[in-house]
Amino acid sequence: MENWQGAHGALTRKTILKGGGIMAKISIRNLTKRYGDMTALNNVSLEIDNGEFLVLLGPSGCGKTTLLRCLAGLETPDNGEIIIGDEVIFSSKEKIMLPPGKRNLGMVFQSYALWPHMTVRDNVKFGLDVIKTPKEASDRQLDEVLAKLGMGDLSERYPSELSGGQQQRVALARLLATKPPVFLMDEPLSNLDARLRMDMRVELKRFQSDAGATTVYVTHDQTEAMTMSTRVVVMKNGEIQQVSPPAELYKQPQNTFVADFIGMPRINLIEMQGDGQIFSNGDITIDFGWKPGIKNVVLGARPEDLKISSNPKAHGETYRVMAILPNGPETIVQLQRGKTVIIGRIGHDIIFEKNQEVKVTYTQTSLNVYDADTQNLISPINNI
Amino acid sequence: MRDPVSIVMLILLAVLAYLVIWPFFQLVINTFTWSEGSRRISREAVPGQFTWFYWLQVTAGPISGKMLYGPLINTLITGIISTILALIAGGSLAWCIVRSDMPGKRWLQPILTLPYILPSFAVALAWETVFRSPKVGGQPGLYEAILGIAPPEWLSYGVVPISITLAIHYFPFAYLLVAGALATIDSQMEESALISGAGKLTILRRITFPVVAPAFVAAIILTFGKTIGQFALPFLLGAPTQFHTVATMIYANLALGLDSMAYVLAVILIAMSLLSIWLSNRFIKKKSGRFETISGKGFRSREIALGNWRWFIFSVVSLFGFVVGILPIILLGVQSVMLIDGFYGLENLTSHFWIGKSNLNIAGGEPGVIYNKIILGATWNTLKLAFLSAVFASVIGIIIAYIAVRRANNPLAVLLDQIAFIPFLFPTIAFGAMYLTLFAVPVGPIPALYGTFTLLVLISVVSRLPYSVKTGITAVTQIGQELEEAAEVAGASWGRRFRKIIMPLASSGIMSGMMVSFVGVMRELSLIILLITPATRVLMTAGFGYAEEGLTQLTNALVLIVALLTISGELILWKIGKGRMARLREKQS
Ligand SMILES: Nc1ncnc2c1ncn2[C@@H]1O[C@H](COP(=O)(O)OP(=O)(O)OP(=O)(O)O)[C@@H](O)[C@H]1O
Ligand SMILES: [Mg+2]
Repeated sequence: MENWQGAHGALTRKTILKGGGIMAKISIRNLTKRYGDMTALNNVSLEIDNGEFLVLLGPSGCGKTTLLRCLAGLETPDNGEIIIGDEVIFSSKEKIMLPPGKRNLGMVFQSYALWPHMTVRDNVKFGLDVIKTPKEASDRQLDEVLAKLGMGDLSERYPSELSGGQQQRVALARLLATKPPVFLMDEPLSNLDARLRMDMRVELKRFQSDAGATTVYVTHDQTEAMTMSTRVVVMKNGEIQQVSPPAELYKQPQNTFVADFIGMPRINLIEMQGDGQIFSNGDITIDFGWKPGIKNVVLGARPEDLKISSNPKAHGETYRVMAILPNGPETIVQLQRGKTVIIGRIGHDIIFEKNQEVKVTYTQTSLNVYDADTQNLISPINNI
Repeated sequence: MRDPVSIVMLILLAVLAYLVIWPFFQLVINTFTWSEGSRRISREAVPGQFTWFYWLQVTAGPISGKMLYGPLINTLITGIISTILALIAGGSLAWCIVRSDMPGKRWLQPILTLPYILPSFAVALAWETVFRSPKVGGQPGLYEAILGIAPPEWLSYGVVPISITLAIHYFPFAYLLVAGALATIDSQMEESALISGAGKLTILRRITFPVVAPAFVAAIILTFGKTIGQFALPFLLGAPTQFHTVATMIYANLALGLDSMAYVLAVILIAMSLLSIWLSNRFIKKKSGRFETISGKGFRSREIALGNWRWFIFSVVSLFGFVVGILPIILLGVQSVMLIDGFYGLENLTSHFWIGKSNLNIAGGEPGVIYNKIILGATWNTLKLAFLSAVFASVIGIIIAYIAVRRANNPLAVLLDQIAFIPFLFPTIAFGAMYLTLFAVPVGPIPALYGTFTLLVLISVVSRLPYSVKTGITAVTQIGQELEEAAEVAGASWGRRFRKIIMPLASSGIMSGMMVSFVGVMRELSLIILLITPATRVLMTAGFGYAEEGLTQLTNALVLIVALLTISGELILWKIGKGRMARLREKQS
């Protein structure tokens, strides 16, 4: 690592401030990062389009933060390369490792990382000072950013004198001030209360699209991922499981892990056996309407894919209502048939009784079928 | 990748290796090498050649009893007795202050730490003032003046006074360690035992004591380790009757020109210190992990009601605090205004030793403090030395701390942290001996620093590093890594980050650390006594010099000045809000 190259012909941020709008497409190729024996990132490859809002989602410890920090240059990966725009900022082969400050990116940390000994204004100004912005331009820029975030009146306060939401805004102002073409954010809203979080989502999204910055955003929160992103990356144990726009991610999870991880309440995953297109697990039997071509499958049925009727004459198999959990606009019901327990979702205006018997059918077209061996999705299109 | 932190780290490693590790080897090598001056003790001497002579002489020669075994036994006896006394006093006081509802804690606490803040020398001087005996020379002390009979010699010099004064100087140290452990006890632990039907004694025996036991044992060993390195105190109360400890023997040997013998003793003293610290670490590691109190949400510390004993215990503790903390200072003051030493009467009072001009009839013509060139020079030197050492120690300390915290997975950074801690393991007088051997002659580009002020600054800085690195680590750890990374992403260089983020945020910690070092260096004697020359005299060594000449009043005046300076320093620290307690506890953890 001794001979790692520093910046060579890097676009300085100054030129970006003047010119604006450079392309910042990000390519991550075969990135691997180990901590001792632990592989935090395993051969991760990803293309991120200019201006995209990409969300990294996954269970705790799956490597989201690690990937973000590798992008920022705060960690040195063991293998692979990263390209931003048309500049290689990291390459293990060519021994290139651009330091964080030369990568033209801004970052919001989970803790906000506001400098407690500097006023709001100085916090925001720091980045401009580092790139030696002339005083006038710097002042103008500062006023503009602070006004935009509604922090104009609070600019002489210290971080400890601000509320959580206001601190969040300072972190955002710091990000916006130098107009970097790439935004990196690590759970920036996780310290806010639920209400504020919702408001900030909208605002954050607006600033991002105004700036046109390519954004990589880490979160734990599915709703956040679904509502803000152009695409979502689901990770597990340092590997990418699926990269899809949010709607597709929900409708067509590529494997049972993603299916199980996305959606509240959880998807019903039922192991079934069968031939042709009719499958059963002994308790329940379903006609898929197409032939998966294998004997052992896992059925993925979202709670809303169940059609539940209290009319004893209705079509379908009979289940018993085990539990009823009202949740605002909807009600979650737990149903049992034989030893199989499944979760269904009904409108809040439908009233069931405990132990009542109901009829259930499944929306054939919404069901996903997974290979029980590989746990991967079997697409009907290839199998009809 | 040109990483400025790595460069700084490598430079520091090299410098510290030279200033910490190499002197130790130099000292050891010296004990195995014929010295220039040895021709007069042995005909076989070939200067520069390897020899077992010194080790054999010290451990098995005809003088070995007087040279090593006698002093060794004295060291062990005074060390053990004073440790036991210090632990009894410190332990019970800690319990009274932390766990009982004794009144007046707020102001008793600082008074009880006074003996540790004062130079150890001060308590010894005060003792002498009271129990001095004309039999060994000098004037009678207060005891004889009041009672009319001479105190028995065992009360004036030797084991008893040395053990007691050592205990007085070190009990606050034990007190702080035990108090720290007691403070972690959640009363709910005791209360739940109470509910299950255990009696008060059972609780003390089965719950409270086992929890503080590790701290207690650590306190025993650390206190013992500190007492054996003490030089000034046993010298003052032992040397007049030829009572020597290993530490005073080192000094005596050097004074006689038996340098190599002194070095052998220094190595032995270091070995003793290493052994005791190793034992304490082993014990702490083994026990404290398991006994770590798990403090849940509802941590409460309930004070135990003393009932009718409340005021009685308060009076006992207050009296004790007065005798060990305040009386010595008063005695120093009284002693410094007496015209003829040992004659107690109003007509004998004089301000001569403070503001008198030179008078050949008094004290051999030595003028009072404010006209005394030696004292004024020493005062200036003291302040200069304390200031420079404190500044350098803190700045280097924070840099090492930064490297140790932020590069924790780099083995070189860990090594740096460990090397910076090593001076803590050397008894100060032995550390002084090391520098004596290392800097007596020029080596390569490094001049012979012996006799220069620079050398004093150097050894003071290095000896303060274990503490200033600890303070620095506390300060740096509190600065979240993300604060720095945010600046890094913004493109700030390491230098800028260190200046703009780390330094300002760590500054209050560094400032109080600096003050601690300032006070510590000011009252230091054993460390520099071997390296001082007339030109580089400081207050403590000047005081020691006057004591050797028998000019008691001036010694007392000087030590009083140092005492007042250190107390003011402590008061400033107290004001800053970090009392001695909190800091010492921090150092020990
Ligand atoms: N400095 C480090 N040293 C050793 N292991 C690390 C280090 N940083 C992260 N790891 C490990 O790498 C894995 C991925 O960590 P990472 O912080 O990227 O997870 P994450 O997906 O951000 O989790 P979370 O959602 O909890 O923040 C974890 O198992 C973690 O323990
Ligand atoms: Mg994380």
